[in-house]
Amino acid sequence: MANTRDIRIRIKGVKNTRQITRAMQMVATSKMKKAQDSAKSGRPYAMLLADIIGTIANEFVEVTQSYFAERPIKHRGILVIGTDKGLCGGLNSNLFREVVRIENSAKFISIGKRASQFLSKTRRDLLADFTVPDKPSFADVRKIVEFLLRNYDEGNIDTIEVVYTNFINTLRQEPESIRLFPLNDLTSMVEKLHSRFQSESQTNQKDNREILIENKDVVLSELASLYLKQEIFQLVLEAQASEHSARMVAMKSATDNAGTLIDDLTLQYNRARQAAITQEILEISAASFSN
Amino acid sequence: MPLFLEIVTPDSITFSKEVKSVVIPTANGRIDILPKHIPIIDKVVPGYLKIEHEGEFDYISINTGFMEVYGDKVSILTDGAAKVSEEDEQAIDEAIQKAEKALQQAKDSNIEQSQLEQLEAAARFEMAKKIAKNKIR
Repeated sequence: MANTRDIRIRIKGVKNTRQITRAMQMVATSKMKKAQDSAKSGRPYAMLLADIIGTIANEFVEVTQSYFAERPIKHRGILVIGTDKGLCGGLNSNLFREVVRIENSAKFISIGKRASQFLSKTRRDLLADFTVPDKPSFADVRKIVEFLLRNYDEGNIDTIEVVYTNFINTLRQEPESIRLFPLNDLTSMVEKLHSRFQSESQTNQKDNREILIENKDVVLSELASLYLKQEIFQLVLEAQASEHSARMVAMKSATDNAGTLIDDLTLQYNRARQAAITQEILEISAASFSN
Repeated sequence: MPLFLEIVTPDSITFSKEVKSVVIPTANGRIDILPKHIPIIDKVVPGYLKIEHEGEFDYISINTGFMEVYGDKVSILTDGAAKVSEEDEQAIDEAIQKAEKALQQAKDSNIEQSQLEQLEAAARFEMAKKIAKNKIR
C-alpha cells in the first residue's frame, strides 16, 4: 500500500485541480449568459434586414447582380467557426467531423485558433485565419466579412458557407453548415430566418404595391454585404454561446470527477494510516512480550 | 393617420413610436416622409432625423444604414443612433476630434478603401450629432 505522505500530496493536487475547474465552470456560466443575451439583442436588427431583403425579393424575381446570381462552383468558400481555447468537451471534434466531409477543392477561412490548427494539420487550403474576442462587436466581424467578399468578388471562392456549432440548449450543441452566398433563393432564405427566430413572416402582409427603390444597384449590393455581415456576426455569437455552455458542462463534470477522486483517495489514506498504526502497536506489543 | 417610426440598430431598438412626420437624410438629399407616402427603399447617410410629434420636434442623429417605407410604417436600419438631446456637447467634440484623428492616421498609413470609408462614416456621424445639437438651441 502506498505510503500516507504520497496519498496526502495527491489529494492536495486533485483539490487544486478541482478549484481550477470549478472557477472555469463559473466563468463559462457567466460568459454563456452574456453571449446568449447579445445573440438575442441582435435579433430585431436581423429581422428588419431580412424583411427589407424579403421585400426586394418579392419585387425583383430576377436579380442579376453577382451576389444574387448562382455561378459554377469551382471552389467552395467555407468559414469554420471554432474556439480559441480547448477544454470544452467534444465541441471542436464534433465540428471538425463536419469539416472532414467537405471535399478537398474547398477553400477555408477559420475563426479561432483550434480551427486553424486543425485545418493546417489536415492540409486543407486555408486562406486566412482570424480570431475574435469574447463579446465581439460588429467591427470585429467586419474585417472577416470584407476578406470573404473580396475573395468572392475576385473569384477565388464561388460560395460563402459557414460551419459552426449551433446552440440548441445548454446541454446540446450541434455542428451545422449554412450557405450564405450567393443569395439566389431569397424567399426561402427569409423564411428560414423567420423560423430560426420563431416569428411569423411579416412579408406576407404586404400587398403587391409597387415599391420605389432609389440607387437600386448600390442599395442591393450594400444590403447583400450587410446581410452577410449581420449573419456572420449572429453565427459567431451563436458559436460562442455554444462554446461557453460546452465548457461549462465539461468543467462541471471535471469538478464532479475530482470530487469522487478525492473521496476515493481519502478512503485510501485513512486505510493506510490505520494500517500503519496497527503495525506500530503490533511492533510495540511484540517488543514488550519479548522482554 | 399617424406614421409609425422604428429605428433599429445592431444593439437595440432605439426608437419605436407613432409620429406625424420624419425627415430622413438619404444619398439623394433629405426626404420628408408623411403618411401615405409611396413605398420606398433607400440608403441612409450619416446625418440627423427630424421627427415631428405632437407639435414638437425631436432630433436623432444616425449613422449609415437603410430605410424602408411601406404602408404607414417607416423602418430605419442603421449602424448607430443617438438622441441628440441626451448627448453631451463636450463628449461630441471629443468624439469628433478622435474620429478625425483616426481618419488622418488611417489616410497616412494607407489602409484599405473600405476601412477608410467606415472611418469617414464614423466622423460624419459625429459631425451630424453636433449639427443637430446646434439646431436645437
